[in-house]
Amino acid sequence: MKIVVTVKLVPDTNADKRIDPATKRLVRTGVETVLNPFDEYAIEAALQLKEKLGGDTTVTIFSMAPETGKEIVRKALAMGADDAAMLSDAGLEGSDVWGTAYAMAQALKKVGFDLIVCGTQSTDAITGELPGALAEYLGVPGLTYLRKVDVDGTTVRGERETDNGYQKVVAELPALVSVTKSINEPRYPSLKGIMGAKKKTITTLSLAELALDRPVGSDGAKTEVLDLAAAPVRGKGRMVNASDGADGARIIVEFLREKKLL
Amino acid sequence: MRDVIAFIEQHAGTPRRVSFELATAAKDLAAELGGKAHAVVVGKGASTLANTLKNYPIDVIHVAEDADADAYLVDPLVDYVESVAKATGPAVILVPYTMIGRDVGSRIAARLGGGLTADVTEVHVGGGRVVSVSPKLGGLTVTSCAFKNVDYGIVAVRPNTFAAREQSGAGEVVQLEKPATKSYPIKIEDDVVEAAGELGVEEASTVVSGGRGVGGPEPFTTILKDLADALGGAVGASRAAVDAGWVPHSHQVGQTGKTISPQLYIAVGISGAIQHKVGMRTAGTIVAINKDAGVPIGEFADLLVVGDLFQIVPELTKRVREAKAVPA
Repeated sequence: MKIVVTVKLVPDTNADKRIDPATKRLVRTGVETVLNPFDEYAIEAALQLKEKLGGDTTVTIFSMAPETGKEIVRKALAMGADDAAMLSDAGLEGSDVWGTAYAMAQALKKVGFDLIVCGTQSTDAITGELPGALAEYLGVPGLTYLRKVDVDGTTVRGERETDNGYQKVVAELPALVSVTKSINEPRYPSLKGIMGAKKKTITTLSLAELALDRPVGSDGAKTEVLDLAAAPVRGKGRMVNASDGADGARIIVEFLREKKLL
Repeated sequence: MRDVIAFIEQHAGTPRRVSFELATAAKDLAAELGGKAHAVVVGKGASTLANTLKNYPIDVIHVAEDADADAYLVDPLVDYVESVAKATGPAVILVPYTMIGRDVGSRIAARLGGGLTADVTEVHVGGGRVVSVSPKLGGLTVTSCAFKNVDYGIVAVRPNTFAAREQSGAGEVVQLEKPATKSYPIKIEDDVVEAAGELGVEEASTVVSGGRGVGGPEPFTTILKDLADALGGAVGASRAAVDAGWVPHSHQVGQTGKTISPQLYIAVGISGAIQHKVGMRTAGTIVAINKDAGVPIGEFADLLVVGDLFQIVPELTKRVREAKAVPA
């Protein structure tokens, strides 16, 4: 069985990000790129499935990213995946969710898969729309927000998180799943894994190799940014020391009344 | 003249609060566009819910009391929204920015080739185009987006950003025909409710969250829950509390949890690291309770009370109950 995990490269959340007031664009200089934290759960889920299923099960990392992202893809390989495929093409720049999902779907068809495992969202765009759009373009069942996933023969089943519990869902392979952070605790790459990852194959695909029937990148995008403004800064408010519980409660109640929240 | 469709999310006949927010927003947007506001309600209990929707400013309510929507994941919903979209040629389809809403929105966008904007906190018509405003980069920036190469789009709206308005519209109810027989691929074998009647952190107008300082699982079901109940809100948690196994992930607020905009956010024993801040910085008012005066949350909370949370929270609950005259 072939499991493919989609990963994204994102700016580090801890990095000091700022907007250039003149260009209204994100200043990327000096901002470190990392593996999207949500995708680590997807990699771990795929590796656990491989360990359970054994046999000829393989895990392939897939990323749509510039070739400079190779080193980060290698980190995913160091966790234990077998190989990787990247869709890298300057023509993809400026793609929106729609173009990204469409181009990725065509590339994933070429890579081949029985099961695709995605994180639920990325920490930069946070649209959370990619898994659904991918499933639609691939024409496979999309089992999203799983906190448990298992494969038995040609069947995939899982527990899908809901707001007040979960749903047991089941579908036939090939399929796509997205997994939440409650599914597992991602492993750290071992030294052996890191050394081994250097020898693993990373295949690169370009748009010319895909049979695209519509424009992608900024030309094909269905959305355009009209304006990008710095969000209003949340200033420092009041700080009050409470002498005891009743005093603290009194301070808060007075504050809530002032704000007409009580 | 262009219409607007609102997808009404419901679960076993119970609508999500955001559904009424979308119904209201659909009408306001439709008025700007000179078109009609439509609602699509699908699944068990849809007919009853359609009656409730008559109290909101919707022109046409499309109803499908179809058990398949409860037996199969997401695909039946997408088919019904697609059929209404094809029949009305809308300018905008509003979906909630929730798990189900994101799935419906992304699949419709892919299927119909429409544009898609997500986590939207404001939507209006400007220069003849529909403009979606959403916070990006963890709330660092606010972007305004319009659709291009296509004359309509799907807008996924963050819950709690539009006020629902009770005002009757035309409220014409239309029964939807079941789409041509097809088999749906994802079967829901069991729907397990673990916390009945609990409001999710995304939708609650008040959220009381606990972090590492709370020290264990117990306060989440006692003192924090009591305060949340007294305020009519929900219990949230920081990543530290979720990772420690004290609270289920569905309660987590922050980068790897939910991004929320309640009117009031009370952070109890939460230091307020950037990963938490990105999930709640757009709250109306932020109150923090912490024993440490130097915590990062003090830099952006409207009020930081320095003291013992185990003493303050129960006292606060008592005072809130008194203020609201809710018997204990």
